[in-house]
Amino acid sequence: MTTAANKQLMQDLLAKAAAGDRAPYVAAIVDDVTMVVTGQYSWSQTFRSKEALLRDLYGHLASLLADGRRTIPLRFIADDDHVVVEAKGDMRTKDGQPYNNDYCLIYRLRDGRIVEIREYCDSALTEAVLGPFPAALKQVG
Amino acid sequence: MTTEAKGHDNKQIVQHVFDELAKSNPQPLLAHLADDFRFVIMGSGSWSRSYDGKETVLAELFAPLRARLGRITTIPVRLIAEGDYVVVQAYGRNTTNDGKAYHNDYCNVLRLDDGRITEWVEYCDTLLIEAALGPPLAASVT
Repeated sequence: MTTAANKQLMQDLLAKAAAGDRAPYVAAIVDDVTMVVTGQYSWSQTFRSKEALLRDLYGHLASLLADGRRTIPLRFIADDDHVVVEAKGDMRTKDGQPYNNDYCLIYRLRDGRIVEIREYCDSALTEAVLGPFPAALKQVG
Repeated sequence: MTTEAKGHDNKQIVQHVFDELAKSNPQPLLAHLADDFRFVIMGSGSWSRSYDGKETVLAELFAPLRARLGRITTIPVRLIAEGDYVVVQAYGRNTTNDGKAYHNDYCNVLRLDDGRITEWVEYCDTLLIEAALGPPLAASVT
């Protein structure tokens, strides 16, 4: 895939996800995806499969956040197999607290699928609003 | 100039700037800053805000950082460039004056205009900034 095709793919996937249809985004993630939550806070870790990512990270987020959560993409910067997305969260916790984080996501694509994700966000806000990541779900290594 | 050619030139400038930052040399960075340069630290931390103008960045951000860290070392891992933007995935290898390691992870989104850096938007572990550096006002005291 070309740089332009990769950029278009991520624009399409994230536009659909922001409109409430997350299925195409999830379907584009390969089974052996690597997702790195960067930094040194309690959520920082590397998820080494789609199963672990969906269950331990997205599943935990779904347990904390009210339905209708969305991430609004603001800018796409694409170069070869990487697409960088700056984005703003538009979310609330189940008890009604706003959770609007700032994200920078680096996606690596291969053959039209997402093989790697690196997430940078405001860890101070994550810890303050969502609390510490549960030790029982924390990835080893 | 095509978007691709511009991206290539900007990438070379930013690669040089960060190759030198990896050696704790800020001079190429300073030489490439536009006068109306702004540095934005994203998020809700006590350092998070937009520092607008080269003088403000130097006085209110770089100076307090230097007061805490001495030499500042930032190591680039990957550059991703398109048009006016160059994204730098990087990490810091720094030590505070009181001996604490300060190794933040950065995603820096730089915008260039005519070979000059006009904007640097930094995403990093904001909680680690608080833990290692404390609030910015305390820096100007030391």
